[in-house]
Amino acid sequence: MLLALIVLLPFAGSVLAALLPKHARNVAAAFAGTVALACAVLVAIQYPQVTGGGVVRSYLPWLPDLGLNLYLRMDGFAWLFAMLVTLIGALVVFYARYYMSVKDPVARFFSFLLAFMGAMLGIVLSGNLIQLVVFWELTSLTSFVLIAYWYHLDEARRGARMALVVTIGGGFVLLLGVLMLGAMVGSYDIEVVLASADAIRGHPWYAPMLVLIIVGALTKSAQFPFHFWLPRAMAAPTPVSAYLHSATMVKAGVFLLARLWPALAGTELWFWLVCGAGSLTLLGGAFNATYQRDIKGVLAYSTISHLGLITMLLGMNSRLALVAAIFHMLNHATFKASLFMAAGIVQHETGTRDLSRLCGLRRAMPLTATVATVAAAAMAGVPLLNGFLSKEMFFAEAIATGDFTGLDFSLPAIATLGSVFSVAYSVRFVHQVFFGAPCGTLPRPPHEPLAGMLLPSALLVLACVLVGILPSLTFGPFLETAALSILGEGMPAYRLAVWHGVTIPLLMSFIALTGGLLFYFWQYRSGRAMARPPLLWRLESQRLFDVASVRVTRGAGRLVEYLFTSRLQPQLLMIVCLALLAGFFTLQRGGWLRGFMPLTPIDPLFALLWVAGGACAIGAAVQAKYHRLAAVIMVGAVGLATCLTFAWFAAPDLALTQLTVEVVTVVLFLLGLRWLPRFREWDDPQRKTLRARARRARDAVLAVAAGIGVSALAYAALTRPATSHLSEFFVENALAEGGGRNIVNVILVDFRGFDTFGEIAVVGTVAIIVFAMLRRFRPAPESMVRPRVQEEEDAAREAVIDDFEDWLPAGYLKIPAVLVRLLLPMAGLVSLYFLFRGHNAPGGGFVGGLVMATALIVQYMVGGTIWVESRIRLLPQHWIGAGLLAAAASGLLAWLAAEPFLASQEVDLGGLHLSTVLLFDAGVYVVVVGAVVLMLIALAHQSLRSPRKRVEPVERRASLRRAPVPEEAG
Amino acid sequence: MEVVYALATGVLAACGVWLLLRPRTFQVLLGLSLLSYATNIFIFGMGRLTLNRPPIIRGGTPVDPAFYADPTPQALVLTAIVIAFATSALFLVVLLALRGLTGTDHVDGREPGE
Amino acid sequence: MSLLLTHLPVLPIVVPLVTGATMLLLRERHRRARVTLALASAVVQLGAAVTLLAFTTGLVPGAWAEGIGVYRIGGWPAPFGIVLVVDPLSALMLVLFATVALAALVYAVAHWDNPGQPFHSLLQFLAVGVNGAFLTGDVFNLFVFFEILLTASYGLVLRGLGSQRVKTGLNYIAVNLGSSALFLMGVALIYGITGTLNMADITRTLPALAPADRTVFDAGAALLGVAFLVKAGSWPLNFWLPRTYSGAVPPVAAVFAIMTKVGIYAVLRVGTLLGEDQLAAAILGGILFYTGLATLIAGSIGMLSARYLARFVAYSVVVSTGLLLATLGLGLEELTAPVLFYLATSVLTTAAFFMLTGMAERARLTHPQPESTAPAPKPFHVAFGVAAPDPYGLDEEVGTAIPLTMAFLGLVFVFCVLLVAGLPPLPGFIAKFAVLSTALGTNAANQAPVWLLTIAVLVSGFAAIFASSRLGMRLFWAQAARRVPRLRVLEAAPVALLVLVTFAMAAFAPAVMQFLQAASASLHDPDAYVQAVLGGAP
Repeated sequence: MLLALIVLLPFAGSVLAALLPKHARNVAAAFAGTVALACAVLVAIQYPQVTGGGVVRSYLPWLPDLGLNLYLRMDGFAWLFAMLVTLIGALVVFYARYYMSVKDPVARFFSFLLAFMGAMLGIVLSGNLIQLVVFWELTSLTSFVLIAYWYHLDEARRGARMALVVTIGGGFVLLLGVLMLGAMVGSYDIEVVLASADAIRGHPWYAPMLVLIIVGALTKSAQFPFHFWLPRAMAAPTPVSAYLHSATMVKAGVFLLARLWPALAGTELWFWLVCGAGSLTLLGGAFNATYQRDIKGVLAYSTISHLGLITMLLGMNSRLALVAAIFHMLNHATFKASLFMAAGIVQHETGTRDLSRLCGLRRAMPLTATVATVAAAAMAGVPLLNGFLSKEMFFAEAIATGDFTGLDFSLPAIATLGSVFSVAYSVRFVHQVFFGAPCGTLPRPPHEPLAGMLLPSALLVLACVLVGILPSLTFGPFLETAALSILGEGMPAYRLAVWHGVTIPLLMSFIALTGGLLFYFWQYRSGRAMARPPLLWRLESQRLFDVASVRVTRGAGRLVEYLFTSRLQPQLLMIVCLALLAGFFTLQRGGWLRGFMPLTPIDPLFALLWVAGGACAIGAAVQAKYHRLAAVIMVGAVGLATCLTFAWFAAPDLALTQLTVEVVTVVLFLLGLRWLPRFREWDDPQRKTLRARARRARDAVLAVAAGIGVSALAYAALTRPATSHLSEFFVENALAEGGGRNIVNVILVDFRGFDTFGEIAVVGTVAIIVFAMLRRFRPAPESMVRPRVQEEEDAAREAVIDDFEDWLPAGYLKIPAVLVRLLLPMAGLVSLYFLFRGHNAPGGGFVGGLVMATALIVQYMVGGTIWVESRIRLLPQHWIGAGLLAAAASGLLAWLAAEPFLASQEVDLGGLHLSTVLLFDAGVYVVVVGAVVLMLIALAHQSLRSPRKRVEPVERRASLRRAPVPEEAG
Repeated sequence: MEVVYALATGVLAACGVWLLLRPRTFQVLLGLSLLSYATNIFIFGMGRLTLNRPPIIRGGTPVDPAFYADPTPQALVLTAIVIAFATSALFLVVLLALRGLTGTDHVDGREPGE
Repeated sequence: MSLLLTHLPVLPIVVPLVTGATMLLLRERHRRARVTLALASAVVQLGAAVTLLAFTTGLVPGAWAEGIGVYRIGGWPAPFGIVLVVDPLSALMLVLFATVALAALVYAVAHWDNPGQPFHSLLQFLAVGVNGAFLTGDVFNLFVFFEILLTASYGLVLRGLGSQRVKTGLNYIAVNLGSSALFLMGVALIYGITGTLNMADITRTLPALAPADRTVFDAGAALLGVAFLVKAGSWPLNFWLPRTYSGAVPPVAAVFAIMTKVGIYAVLRVGTLLGEDQLAAAILGGILFYTGLATLIAGSIGMLSARYLARFVAYSVVVSTGLLLATLGLGLEELTAPVLFYLATSVLTTAAFFMLTGMAERARLTHPQPESTAPAPKPFHVAFGVAAPDPYGLDEEVGTAIPLTMAFLGLVFVFCVLLVAGLPPLPGFIAKFAVLSTALGTNAANQAPVWLLTIAVLVSGFAAIFASSRLGMRLFWAQAARRVPRLRVLEAAPVALLVLVTFAMAAFAPAVMQFLQAASASLHDPDAYVQAVLGGAP
């Protein structure tokens, strides 16, 4: 449980810190520091249990069947890292208290810092690889927000994003690798993984899995070729750089490599990947560090190169090298953190980090100078300092590993060369900043910082010295414990001591020191600013990354134009093709086409009907573009053929409905035609081009294929015996249960009334949408021009245009008007008749409604829009609403009888026999009338838009009568 | 009879699909209505072809499915007709609005050249 | 009360329909009444859905046998009349939709003083369609409800009638009308062969079919499948989706977030009821998996290309569809529960994300100037060797305190991104990991598809981070972001709520997973379904 506390405490602290007032610097710092120290103590007291290969475990099951549990384990290695994280964390918090400006909203800062600490501890203490990856990604996220803490600075934002993308991406790669590893071993438990080392190395997936995991580790530890994000992360506040980007987070990668070392290491591949990447990073980093202009730049690249050194050690496949690696992790953390703090102090007190402007500060700030110098010496590997010891071991291992693969000299050579550079940049750092003549103008007169700012750095340096002089009394035992926890019984014998006698490693150190000094001073004397590394400065990672990022976006955009084209035709094409494919794949089995039923004899009349119908359909297809009117008429003819077919095969209801729908549809289409642009075959350039022809050919093929498919399926179904046992039930119960002779109608309003219910909902919805749209609709300008006929007609009616009060429109429409007026009440009666008889004979609410609507349309045709609109009183929306409610009510009435929704109820009101079914059908009727009238009004009303001026007074009068004249958009 | 019926369905479907793939909104509209005719006839056909035995119970004829055309597909077709009518009306209005707003009747709201 | 309980299954359909119809009777100016009605209906729907869910879990004593409830519309016996069937899956979907709809409604109410007369009615009718589609046990009735929800969605897409909206609207309508024709043909064939429309009845009659008839039936099922894939928004049938969703107003987009899942639901439902036939299952599985994979990849590319947030979220919807389809395509029963978990989280997340987009939009930042391909200029002291205006003097830096609004927006944004990208520690990760680890755990005969899926999922997550970091930084950290949008608590609340719900799902993951296990169990037991629906009927 204590372990869980160690991990959870920082997160809880982070939440609390976020709630503190923005600028409560002292409170926030004190709080964060306390949390860090508390964690440190909690870790420290675990030490007795982890010595001698002991392990502390704590297991909180959560989703066991998914292998998602909180499983923490602490062994010596984890303990060491946890100590490192918490102690340095405490120091950094202390330092940040003085570093951050008073005006900074530091609450957020400390909250993020604590969150990071928790995540880092999570990595260190994870006993489960998935969980490790979880915390791994968390550190990436927290590092992102910390780098971008000053997000108003451009480089902070860009640097943060680059760091995020690289580390998160690495995290995903790592996750994949871990998933593979888990699949290989059968568990994500680290101990199981470590136990089955041989199985892993022998596994066919070993190579890919290894590559993935190593890539993940390298991205995190800023190793070549993923090193470029770290220097840009220096835009973060210096405490962050000191903590995340030198001491802890970047160590996570090498931590993982060391953690899995027993399971994964020991193969050629491991050597080449890890050691190769390490050595390249060591050299490249050191070289770059020598030529930075920014102090933090120097430190960043040196961090990269030191991490490279550690990686190299891990890659050497030797147990002693592993020990050295762990040792160097510690040493590097101590001196590099203190160096960053020193750099921060310099910047804080002088106002710049520009090496070319700084010089001779040792007079102004002697203490800082001393601290920084010692730390830099440790970094350079000067004897009697901790850096020296681990570097000695490194050299020794380089020599020892030299003959591992016939590269007898390359490894030692690389090691020495790297150290030469590291000496050079250490010297440069100290010499340029603190020595030489005091330079003139700095943004601010330099002076010693507050003691509190210097203290953490000084403490760390003290550690460097102590370890450097008395290694076996300081880090010795802890190192022992850590190494033992990884290596187990195979623990090599080694001796931490300052003096091993005159050995080759000592010689190499000597070469490195002298060579480094010579190299630096040679460069210095040659008077070059050393402001940028030769050759390599052209690789501006940030710029390359940004360009790449933009390229990716652009490229994806270009792809998307094809993947998600905005053109409609390809989409419909896709649907048709996929439908054809789906049909083809299922039907290719064959043998399904012909059923067993004998064919009924062909009636020539029917055949003739469909010869005509087919001809009309084809005609419509051909003419639809250039002769719309003709096309509409032909489609209407096809509709009639359909209608006749229904009649032919004993479906009077369908025939009736089809007919009425046909009328209304054609009227709608005709109303719409007016607003479409005019087309003439001969002034269409695209028509004749080859591509157009090709496209038409392709579509023709597809269309024919679809037609064949449909015909075949229809034929297959038609030639099979009918199987419907639904219909038996319907036929038998229509009269007895449903109380109607017209079975279809009984199905519609009773057996499957729910469908009808939905259907009228659709109709109503459509009407609402149409109405809402046409309120705002503007016809295209060129179609505003009034047709010649209308002009003449109006000229003729000029005299009488005003009196719309008149019963009959004036002009030549008088006679038809009379007839139509007479028609209206009759049509109303007919429609009601259809409605009422529907239950027993062809008809029903829908047909009735359409008849009524048609009658109203005819009024429009003859009387003209204004004439009718100035006489209709009811708002069609209300009709729709009322109709739907009526239908719903008929359904809900059943509840009173404790029967399910839509169960039909008979009511006897003094001999008057009423059924809820009738109410339902009446609802349908009302909805249909309302909807159709609404659509037609809205559509026909458009004609008022174009010649607005001429009918102004009339329209006003019309609106006075609360006619449903659609409002303008307003 | 079945052959003619099936062919009729196929022809309607083919014309519908062809128009569906055309570039002008009005063509697509007509294509959709032809397609809906095809669909309706198709559904209707699923009740098999029966001559002059409308599903309306007459006194005298026994209440036995054998004496009536299959009513279920007819009911389905009725619903389908209504929905098709509503949706094509909507499509008509939308294409008018598109025409009004963009000035073209191309399905993409812009002439291919542009 | 008991009256309501017995009629509970039909409430999610009747309530919104009555509400919508009543709204039509209100005049333009009765805004408050309309809003009250809408909220009331949404709350009732949520309550009904949750109660139904409780019934299916069997927590309520005296509820239905093996957690499947059947409601016979009109009181007609099962295969003849239309039945509503409530099983754990449909109940879950109902709850999801009700939650999202309520949140979207509150948001919309807070957001617009007058969203226009039809808006609320359309929202109600949309609810009718969606709930009906989840509930019905009858294929033709399913078609009808699909039409209702589509029609309502047409209206909501066209809302506001910009020329862009009308373009996308026409596109959307045309595609869906085409697919509806397929749907009808499929249903017709199924009826023509089996002679019934009731899903359970179809399942029961399948084994008796002669092979030739079975072939024709499969053709019908295949057409149905294509129609479903269009609704589910699977590539290459989903070109309309990104523009339509990102074009719609935020609350509508939020509701749409679940509409693709209606298609997924249909695939699941009909698939499990029809899919015993090995050959069909194999073909179906293969097609589902590869279309799903294609959808996943296409969606990720879309994410990368997104220039503003709404579009990004729309593509994330595509990605989630792809993941769902591909996973279902693997055809492993033990995957169903994790997939449902993922479905739930992704629906809630995308809904919240869409609404967040709307709020951030008010900072006028979601349509930033497209970044230039020109490489960032070198620091000019490098170029000209002159002393720079000290680029290293980041001295005395003072971070800017984030105003509360931006802090909230930023926080929710980060959460949504993490959820979408499936990054730890949020449920998005749990869901994806659950899917992947289960898939890897099951020693399926052929591991290659599983790994393909795994890689695709991880890559898509990376793409999400890559794109969203770019968008988010320009949205919240660009200098222009100084202008802070005003934010009403009422519109912030639903977004926060949705995110919190996902957190709760993570916190109570064991319980949730247990329920989902039950759901998948009942889903993969068609016989129980048939038994519950038909009972001893002939």
